[in-house]
Amino acid sequence: MSAPRTSPLDHPEVRQASAWRYIAGFVSSMVLMQAALLVTLRQHLPYQEYILTIGGLALVSLLSQAALFFGLDISRAQIWKSVSLVLTIPLFILSVGLTVWMFQSLADRTMLMPMTSVQPTLLE
Amino acid sequence: MSTDSPPATGARLFHPHFAGHDQISARTLGFWLYLLSDALVFTAVFAAYAVLNNSMGASGGPIASQVVDPVEGLWQTYAVLGSVATYSLGTVALKSGNKAGVMLGIILSIALALIFLGFEAHDLLGLLAKGDGPSRSGFLSAFFILIATHGLHMIFGIIWMLVMLVQIPTMGFTTNVVARLINLRMFWQFQATIWVLVYIYVYMIGAF
Repeated sequence: MSAPRTSPLDHPEVRQASAWRYIAGFVSSMVLMQAALLVTLRQHLPYQEYILTIGGLALVSLLSQAALFFGLDISRAQIWKSVSLVLTIPLFILSVGLTVWMFQSLADRTMLMPMTSVQPTLLE
Repeated sequence: MSTDSPPATGARLFHPHFAGHDQISARTLGFWLYLLSDALVFTAVFAAYAVLNNSMGASGGPIASQVVDPVEGLWQTYAVLGSVATYSLGTVALKSGNKAGVMLGIILSIALALIFLGFEAHDLLGLLAKGDGPSRSGFLSAFFILIATHGLHMIFGIIWMLVMLVQIPTMGFTTNVVARLINLRMFWQFQATIWVLVYIYVYMIGAF
């Protein structure tokens, strides 16, 4: 928490707004999504490589949004947001990862129906 | 009424009229923590989608590649990212106290958000018309919940923007209004972040 100011428009949260950052965030996210779409439509990669490629593009897009849209950094005004996000990210990964892992175990051991389909999924 | 002296010990954790407390920072941090908890709600929905996105979850009904179109999804991505960019650019006008600039950013943002929701409604209503509603299979339940949860967030954001379009001209850029505009900016940027994950995981990996 920083010191009080005379005008709310002088607040760091207001002053951090930046046209070039927002435009760069929009352009970078769009370029990355178009690249991901191109990789998807061509379908020339094996499934595992495809997941890694598209996951990497998504990760870069999320990082660019965190930096360019949200303006997260380690400045005095933003540090606690950055710290709380870093501490929460493992919870996202654990929630999805453990759920998928548990259901994969369940499918392997108890499901009677074969899990065949025309497209692969994370469980398969 | 504000005061320069701290509140009495044990009186309150946060005193809304104590000048030593930074009202906007306190509100934005609190709202940021809410957004992180909201992200955990989406995480649970993504986890459900992940375990139901298979032939058994589809129960003989359509699978992901039959209900999503990644090319159409790109137009939705343009719309939602454009909406976030225009709102965010509106908050650049906030720096100079430009009410017209902020309101123009909000109006453009609402227009793009409505285009996005139009695509989303078209997809979901099309599935319902074919009898592939959320009760058709576990996969479709997860798909509808995931898309609709994001869509409801967008609708709430639009309502919030409409409220701000009333408050800006009537109340001006008071501390309360500025804090709401900053929180709305975070909320709206959060929708773009969630959509990128939905687009990648549901629309692209689903169509592969």
